Formats: sequence, structure tokens, C-alpha cells
Amino acid sequence: MKTKKALFIHVGLALLLILAFGAQAQAGNTYKLGLSLAITGPTSDAGNPYSKGVEDYIKYVNDEKVLGDDKVECFIRDDQYKTDITKRNFEDYLDMGIVLYLNYSTGSTLGLKRDFEEEQIPVIPASFHAGNLVDSHYIFLPIASYSSQMVTLAEYVVANHKGDTPKVAMFIHPSAFGRGPVEDAKKAVKAGLKMDIVEVVEHGKDLDNTATLKRLLNKKVQYVICHTVQSPVATLLKDAQRLGIAAKTFGEKGKITFLGAHYTGGNDLIALAGSAAENYFWTTSYTLTSVKGEGTDFQLALAKKYGRDEKAANSHNYTNGIMVAQVAVEAIKRAKADGKEITRKSLYEELLAMHGDRSYDPKTTVAPVTYSETDKEGVDKLQIYRVDGGTWKAVGEPIESVFMKKIK
Amino acid sequence: MATNRWVATGNYFTSYKDEQRIFLTHFDRLIFCCMLVLVFAWPLFISVSDRTLLVIDNILIAIVAILGLNLLTGFAGLISIGHAAFVGVGAYTLASFSHLLGDRHILITHAWPLMILISGGVGAGFGALVGLPAFRLKHLYLAIATLSFQMIFEWVINFMKFFNQGQTIFVGRVFWFTGKIARKQHYQFWYYVILVVVVIAGFAVRNLLRTRYGRCLVAVRDNDRAADAMGMSPGLTKVYAFALAGFFAGVAGALHAYLYRGVGFESFTLHHSITYLAMAIVGGLGTLVGSFFGPIAIYMLDLLVENLAEYVGHLLPAVMNLSTALRPLTFGLVIVLFLMFEPRGIANWWRIARTYFKLWPFRY
Repeated sequence: MKTKKALFIHVGLALLLILAFGAQAQAGNTYKLGLSLAITGPTSDAGNPYSKGVEDYIKYVNDEKVLGDDKVECFIRDDQYKTDITKRNFEDYLDMGIVLYLNYSTGSTLGLKRDFEEEQIPVIPASFHAGNLVDSHYIFLPIASYSSQMVTLAEYVVANHKGDTPKVAMFIHPSAFGRGPVEDAKKAVKAGLKMDIVEVVEHGKDLDNTATLKRLLNKKVQYVICHTVQSPVATLLKDAQRLGIAAKTFGEKGKITFLGAHYTGGNDLIALAGSAAENYFWTTSYTLTSVKGEGTDFQLALAKKYGRDEKAANSHNYTNGIMVAQVAVEAIKRAKADGKEITRKSLYEELLAMHGDRSYDPKTTVAPVTYSETDKEGVDKLQIYRVDGGTWKAVGEPIESVFMKKIK
Repeated sequence: MATNRWVATGNYFTSYKDEQRIFLTHFDRLIFCCMLVLVFAWPLFISVSDRTLLVIDNILIAIVAILGLNLLTGFAGLISIGHAAFVGVGAYTLASFSHLLGDRHILITHAWPLMILISGGVGAGFGALVGLPAFRLKHLYLAIATLSFQMIFEWVINFMKFFNQGQTIFVGRVFWFTGKIARKQHYQFWYYVILVVVVIAGFAVRNLLRTRYGRCLVAVRDNDRAADAMGMSPGLTKVYAFALAGFFAGVAGALHAYLYRGVGFESFTLHHSITYLAMAIVGGLGTLVGSFFGPIAIYMLDLLVENLAEYVGHLLPAVMNLSTALRPLTFGLVIVLFLMFEPRGIANWWRIARTYFKLWPFRY
């Protein structure tokens, strides 16, 4: 009797174990990602929709079973745009066992570069600073660098300007983020790009740019290429409109045409500058909801699905967040398809292999994402947009900088 | 002094020497030794995450910096709104060596105790330099002079290419007798190093205050004319107070640079100077223990508010600006409340608690 009872218990336990393991196998694996960014504090206007983009896409992946039974868990923490808090978050994420890290600011990406190297963890930051890639193996920029953006805008000016060598001024953020691309623009000029860089203006917290604009006009500056954030550009544009010196068409004589890189534009600029934003030329590698397409339809549907408001849904920073999450998930998907275990190493290898036939088109960008040992700038092409009637409209087809290849 | 030094319950000093003891009773010494054993031993028994150790290391570094600021502001009565710049001077001294020699140079990686001392020395030099206006200025005017140093420091670092225009200048990994300190041991290693520095600095300040040089600071603070009449030089004393504060700040800066393995401009801004001042006020100006309580309290508050702001931000995305403002609001409120209701800082609570237990079981 006793033997029978023991046998019954053993069989029962064995069944329970099989069921438990079976359930676990069915539940699939969970892959952990970490994102540290400015949800509050400076630049939170960009960080906020960015975090929503990442959050929503990860939810979508889990809800729609994009990875089958496997799930992705993305920890999102606010770092208030401070490197020491970013470092703290990063250390915490490492303890949590993340396989890929999403970072945000230029300062923290540069500051933590050595940590990324030592940890051998692939990192996709929101900063497109070319300096991130110097002495680094594990940082992957989502799109073309700020330098590429500035040089592309300069090339656009040279190609479309009518008359003598165009006189250009640069309006930049007073930091490493702002200054970095200026050197590359100067190198491009040395390499044969026919334009004069008349002045580089590092803006402060001025609420009035009359003196700056008058000075630029006296120096016969026709184009101002901006590389900063939206609010100083909005102030500049409003002042130019007030002084009646903002060009209504590209290269209008005796007036100034304003152009800018990724973080100067978007719907926030139009909201801040109002009608003064008209005829502002802006470049980014992301698709915009004002220019309908497969990627933007997906973006709007995603925002609707997860109850995001109009502003977030149409923000290019929301697109930015979705796109980095798409790249991370795609790397996981490909590693799985290749039969690899999902580790930092396998994801790193998958990202490096993302070129040629294996390049990845997330549809939220104007061209595919390509990475290799020598190319860590994701989307190489840039789309020029222009404000027309209070909305962004694409100008021509996506372009790729010629001079960046020469000066690299 | 009570004959039984284990159970002394009051201040029965019969000589100045008695009063100047570091530990008034054997019981105080025993508690201190136990505390010391505890703080040195706990990481061997309790496993904590790197994140926690990083926070603790930061608090300890702040304690070193506040020991200096407390000497300057608390004991010598000279307000400094540029303490973060002095910390920055120490950090950038190390960064300059790293920039010139390479971040893996033997001086940086092997002779790091020397580099920390050199950084402290340079901090002291800059402290003395900034303190020179103290010969002619005091109160608010002197505070403005220190503020201008903060501004000059920020400008120089932000614009000079030598300092990488404020971008991170890397500092290599250090070596110990056991070899290179790897990433896994990094935070624990620096915990012990900074702890040793804190203990040495604490004893140094305590001892300084027992000497005439320490009493000089207090005398000049209380009445510089009277101090002058008694043969002290108020001007030189103030400069010397600035140099001392600069030394501690410089050491803290070098420790910060080693802990973060790099130096970036954003850790030494005016905001950090105000935070240091807040730490000194909240801890208790003119008290040694206040230099310990202040950084702990402000860091803990910072972490709490940080979590609260994040929580509010997630919960109510529409009021994101409110959650952004939560941190400076709370920070400002705490300082104002302390200034209004407890100007002697947490150190006074500690004094009351100690007195209560000293007299126990009798009522205070």
C-alpha cells in the first residue's frame, strides 16, 4: 500500500514538473533592454515622445507576438540629461541583465563610451554625434550623424544657390554637441565644397537676435545653417521675420534662408515659431507624418493603439523612439532566426551584419538601416523638408552626402 | 572630567586639554571604532549592486568636499558659491595629466595616491588665489567673488580645446598591489579608497580644530577685529581657509575623476556649487558631523524626488513640467525650511539625540 502511495506521489510530482517546464517553454524567453533618457529636465520635450515611441513599439512587439512566444522587456528611466544619473541607470541595467542598451544624450554617450567597450554591449543612442563613433566598437548611430546632416545641408546650399560662392553662417549650440559638426563642415570646404563659412555663432540664452542677424546681413550672409535645439532657432526665425530679412523662397536675394539639422526641426519648431517657420529647410532621416507613407501610417496606428495624443503621434522624436526599438527588435529577431542565443555578442554580430542583402528597412526612415564594421551610421540618406503652409513637405528625393565620404 | 571615562554623563572638564579630546568618553571611542569596523566590513558580507555602491561612493566624495566647505563657510564664516569649481579644479588637474601624458600613463594608473594629493594641492593653490579678495572683501561681496570664479571656471573649461571643451577626458583604470582594478571591483575598490580618505580628512579637520590654526578660523568668523587685536591676521586666515577648502575640494575632484574614469564639465557647474552649500547648511554649518549628515541627506532626498518625479511623469504625462519642477522645488523648500526651523542643521538633531542617550534613563 505504502509503495503504491509513494509511486503515486512520484508520478504526480513528475507530471507537475513536466507541466511546469512545458508552461515555461511555452511562455518563451524575455529579452531585456534598457533606455536611459531625459524624460524630465533639459531636452525632455524631445525625450518624452522618444520614450513613448520605444515603449509603444515594445508593447506592440509583445502584443502582436512579433517574436513568437518570446517577449521584450525594456526598462525606461529618466536621467534628467545628466551623465552621472545615466551612469547610475546603466549600472543598474547591467545588473538586470540587459542585452542591448539605448542611450540618449551626446554627453553621456561620450562619457560612458569606455563602459560600453568594457561591457561589450551594443548601444544605440539618440545622439547622432560623429564623435560617438571615435574609438568605439559598440555604439551604433540610428541615422546619419550631425556632421553628415550639416555637410548635406551645405551641399544642398551649394547645389541650389544661384550666383557667386554662397556665404554661409552657422548657428550652433554652445557645447560639444553643437561644435562637433562645424569642424567637418570646414573640412568639407577645404576638400572643395564651394562655400564661404563667414561666421560661426554660438547662441546663448538671448531672447533677441537682432544684433546677430544685422551683423550677418552686413557680412552678406545668405544662408544660416543651424545645429542646436528648436527654441533658439524659433527665436532666430521670429526675429528674422520681424526684421523682414527671412527669405520666402530658397536663396532669395538680400534675405537669409535658414536651414537646420535634426534637433532644430519637427512640429515643435512650427509650434514655437509659428508663421516665422515658413520656408525653413530641415533635414532628417526620419519619415514625417505630414508626408504620408507606409512608415507614417504604422506610426499613427501605433500611437492610436496605445492612446497617444496628437502631438506625440506626430512628433519626429516619437518616430525616432520607434525606430531605435525597431532596430533592436530586428537584431533579436535575426539572431533568433540564425539559431543564436540572444546575448550582447549575438546582437552585436547581427547589427554588424545589417548591410547589403541584410540591410533593414523599418519604413520609419527614408532609407534602409545599414551597419558594418566600418559604417556605424544607420540610415545614410537624408531627406530635406521645408515648411510650407505650416506643415513639413519633402523637397526632392533623399540624398546622401558626397563630401562626408571625402573627409572621413 | 569624570573619573570614570566610560560613563561620563556631563561636561566636567578640569583643563583645556580635557576639553580638546577627540573622544570625550571611552564609550564614544568604542562606538566610533564599531562604526568604523562596520563601514569597512559590510561590503564583505552584504552583496550590493554597482548602482548602490556608485551612490555611496558619490556620497563619500561629497563628504570630503563638504569637510572643506564647512571649514570655509561653517568655521571661518566665508560664503563660497564656487565650491564645485574647486572640485572641478582637482578633477581637471588629473584630467590635464591624463590629456598630456595619456590616460594609461603610469602616473595616472599606478601613482594615483600621489595624483590625488597633487590635485588637492592645485585645488589649494586656486583656493588661495580666489581667497585673495578676502583681504578686502567680506560677506556678500566675497560670495560674489567666489561666484565669479565659478563663472570663469565654467567658461574656461567649456571653451578651451585643451580641456576638450567640456567633453569627457578619460582617466585610465588604476592598479593596486593585486593588479589592475577591473570593472567588477571598481566601485568597491573606490569605496574603500574614498572611505580611507574620509576617515583621514575627518580626523584632520577634528585635529585642526583643536589647534590654534583651527581656533583662528573661528575667531576670525566671530569677530575679525577682535581676532586682529589678539595678534591674528584676519586676511591671511581667510586666505588659508580658502586654501584648505580648495585642498579638500581638489581631493574630492580627483576621486570623482577616478570613480567616473573621466572628467566632464557638467559635474562642476553652479548648480553643483549650490548643492554643496545646501549640503553644508542642511548638515549643520560649523559642525564636523554636519559634513557627514548633509551629503547623506541631500543625496537621499535627491534620489527620492528623482523617483517621485519619474513616477509623476509617467502617471500624469500632461503635467510633465510639474514633475520637472519637482526637484528644484523640493530642494529649495528643504533649504528654506532648514534655515527657518533648524538653522543648526541635522547636526543639532544628532546633538539632542546624543544628549538624551547620555543622560538616559533620566529625562532630558
